Amino acid sequence: MDKKISRRDFLKVAGVGAATTAVLTGCGPASRYVTRQPYTKMPEYTYNGLSTYYATTCRECSAGCGLIVRTMQGRALKAEGNQNNPVNLGKTCARGQTTLEGLYNPDRVTDPIQRDSRGSTIAKKMDWNSAIQVVADALSKNKPDEIAFLMGLAPDHLFDLVTDLTKAIGAAAPIRFGALGMFEARATLVQAASDMFGQEGLPFFDIGNADLVFSFGANFLETWLSPVAQTRGYSQLRRGNPNRRGYFVQFEPRISQTGAKADEWIPVKPGTEALVVLAIGRLVAEANNITLPTAFSNADVNAAAAAADVSVDTLKHLASLFASARRPLAIPGGAALGESNGLQTADAVLALNALVGNIGKDGGVFLSPVAPLTDAYHRPANLKEMSDFVDLLKSGKIKVLFVHGVNPVFELPKSLGLEDAMSKVLQIISFSSFPDETALQSDYVFPDHHGLESWGYQKVATGTSSSVLSGAQPVIVPFFNTKATADVLLAAAQKIGGTLASTLKFTDELAYIQSKLSTLISEPDGFFSAPEINTFTASFQQYGGWWKTTDNRVAPSAGDALNKTFNTSAAQFNGDGDYFFLPFVAPVMAEAGANKPHLQETADPTTTVMWNTWVEINPDTAKQLGIQDDDVVSITSSAGTVEASVYVYPAIRPDTIAMPFGQGHAAYGQFAQGRGANPADLLSNSTNEAGDLAFASMKVSVKKTGKKRQLSRLEGVLGVYGKFGQQ
Amino acid sequence: MPKELKSPTSSANTAQDVQGIWGMVVDQDLCTGCQACVAACSMENNVPFVGEVDAGYGRSMQWIRIERFWQGSYPNIKATPYQPVMCQNCHNAPCEPVCPVYASVHSLSEDLNLQVYNRCVGTRYCANNCPYEARVFNWRDYMDPRQRPELVTLANHFNPDVTVRRRGVMEKCTFCIQRIRHAEDTAASENRDIRDGEVVPACAQACPASAITFGRIDDPTTKVSQAADTSRGSHLLEELGTIPHVTYLAGGA
Repeated sequence: MDKKISRRDFLKVAGVGAATTAVLTGCGPASRYVTRQPYTKMPEYTYNGLSTYYATTCRECSAGCGLIVRTMQGRALKAEGNQNNPVNLGKTCARGQTTLEGLYNPDRVTDPIQRDSRGSTIAKKMDWNSAIQVVADALSKNKPDEIAFLMGLAPDHLFDLVTDLTKAIGAAAPIRFGALGMFEARATLVQAASDMFGQEGLPFFDIGNADLVFSFGANFLETWLSPVAQTRGYSQLRRGNPNRRGYFVQFEPRISQTGAKADEWIPVKPGTEALVVLAIGRLVAEANNITLPTAFSNADVNAAAAAADVSVDTLKHLASLFASARRPLAIPGGAALGESNGLQTADAVLALNALVGNIGKDGGVFLSPVAPLTDAYHRPANLKEMSDFVDLLKSGKIKVLFVHGVNPVFELPKSLGLEDAMSKVLQIISFSSFPDETALQSDYVFPDHHGLESWGYQKVATGTSSSVLSGAQPVIVPFFNTKATADVLLAAAQKIGGTLASTLKFTDELAYIQSKLSTLISEPDGFFSAPEINTFTASFQQYGGWWKTTDNRVAPSAGDALNKTFNTSAAQFNGDGDYFFLPFVAPVMAEAGANKPHLQETADPTTTVMWNTWVEINPDTAKQLGIQDDDVVSITSSAGTVEASVYVYPAIRPDTIAMPFGQGHAAYGQFAQGRGANPADLLSNSTNEAGDLAFASMKVSVKKTGKKRQLSRLEGVLGVYGKFGQQ
Repeated sequence: MPKELKSPTSSANTAQDVQGIWGMVVDQDLCTGCQACVAACSMENNVPFVGEVDAGYGRSMQWIRIERFWQGSYPNIKATPYQPVMCQNCHNAPCEPVCPVYASVHSLSEDLNLQVYNRCVGTRYCANNCPYEARVFNWRDYMDPRQRPELVTLANHFNPDVTVRRRGVMEKCTFCIQRIRHAEDTAASENRDIRDGEVVPACAQACPASAITFGRIDDPTTKVSQAADTSRGSHLLEELGTIPHVTYLAGGA
């Protein structure tokens, strides 16, 4: 736009823009997109100056929170939580609020493109017909075992469609991955449930009904599993019962945003969490005069206290709290699981819950409800499986790789060698809406709609007691020349013909979704029911999904949980650095928020740093190393080196340094690119016993570089003037 | 209001001029510092972002911020309960008497602080005098597509109910006055009073912990009045006598 444009001209342009944009109906599937009419001939449901609201599902993470998006004149104005949706009951996190900055992000991929070469930003625009032809050729001219799909944790309807597609052509099932799943150690949680209860499923921790919560590293108020639902539980824990205020103890090497809310912070030495849990278990059994179960019989309280750097008195005090609480609950999570013995820690925590008999009881541990349209909880790939996948790419057997909804080049540890492996793949097709690192390493980008322009559903993995399918519908017509990936695949299938075309004989994405939803019409206990699919779909859109009105959590049997034997050795660490390295997901920005300027400018809850990566170092350690705030240090592990500015953090163990994950993008648009550092570059590909990445198992060395780079922070800093921009 | 705290009152000249007095209660025991309110406020009120360098100079423009302080030192260190701070809409507002152009004015009927953008000439005296540092200043045209054409698509989600401010103008939390007005209009057209809970500002709407309650503090039956009536209640910098409309409930046991 011309810089000297007058106010009058600006209004003219804005007016024309508003008149030519379009809105769509919320009235049912028969009317897909409706083109906006002139003001004099408005669709009956639209009134000038009044807002129209659409229920949909947030796609900033895979928790499946419901949104109500306010739109006016075909523009999306504000995202708020959907009060009907049992996952978030009308609330959102900061990421959900800024989802509109993703929708209207100036750096979105606006058209289907073909790159000059991988890594090059020079690309030529294509039309969608030739794009579909490229996909059809890729699917039909390669043998089934030469085709691979890599998908993100959301959306589920597309994952189902790709699963059906791969089945039809006889290719391998799509691999599913996401950085949040990696840092949540979902495979470990699922494995622990199966170890201890003999039952598959994602554990559900009933925080709201507990009166004492021991969290072993779980950052459940930040990004972990379903943060909005868990925050509601936390709120209930504290003030839900007027007669008592629930008590909360956090065990972790640094005070996280979650830890800052705890009544007590126990800075256990990294790697010794399992020992502490077992010692507490032993003391609880003794305090409650229970015969010491096998699980805790090997525990040595004094040795655990010494190893964990916690006094025996503290352990005794904690055990007496846990033993005397009416509804005690212990939660395993975060870095405690991302260690070589992470599964043992998770198992031990579940055993501690079994010891106080809270399995399957209010305020205790359940298995999460199984979402509609699925037989069980299917976890994303763990690092072991990703590593096998990377090896498969490296072998050159895969000729075409499709990537949707995930940015593995950024998210996976560099040491896995994904970029190198991708160079062995003849053709890479990305469906990313944003110019992320993976899209940059692709030959083609066929941009999907943003989540708010899309149809879809998300099977809710955990967070609420009922079985929930969150529904998504477009709240505006696509803003750019993008196309739903589901529609691209369906159209490609028709081009190819044969069994694939007959298996995927759907007119469009919505028809596919309806074919899935049709099984729910006759399901009992639904929030609503309908005589036929179109009415059902209309309600599905209106309410933002379908869920049961019953408690569908599974109460597992504590089974043999207390008879398991644990070995009592601490975790193994990689490298010979002096400091434990603790990467954590940035609480506000998470793994993919870096391209949203308002999230960048939202202060980190504990450090108040904005727009960059920091390294947290204990004040005493900093003093020893001669480091001050804002000094740039280089951190070296056996896998690599990164540089970042120091934030001297008073609430971290002196032997640990911590770094947020979420910045350090080499691409991903103007707000993210070239900003900060990525701690994943320091990680090796070592895993825990459940195959999850042992992301907290590195030991690193810290060196002063002599450079200084001022971190922007919300908290007061004296004398910032003249310091910015200088190295 | 907690019994021992002074309550704001209307300064209207006649009884019929008195309108609802709005207030807020923030439960610091529930606030998890998640910043959802900060993001929600910015998205609702067309608050611009300023970029890394200006943010470092303290020019970031969010109308609400979450404060935390540290107590003690390792290993006996604790974070103070997170404290969301926004304009307290003081009854005796220090920002008002210092404005030379009457841009910072008081609503007599509702006892709210108003900022009149088209009067503001940017002296920043009000911000200087605000004990809560609740006011933010537009140092530049941060998101104006005419100045920064690369951001033009972002303007699409601007809220048409809220003025987009230009360079040189002071601004602050308005208690989402557009939402109050909307509810008032709806109630008036339906010939009824506003219901308790009908006005929900963006911050309270988003808050996953439901730590923020908003409503009429001149009516003792409202949720906000009842939430405030506890021994945990306090006003920020109570001793200054500003008589804020926001009551904080202490965190911790």
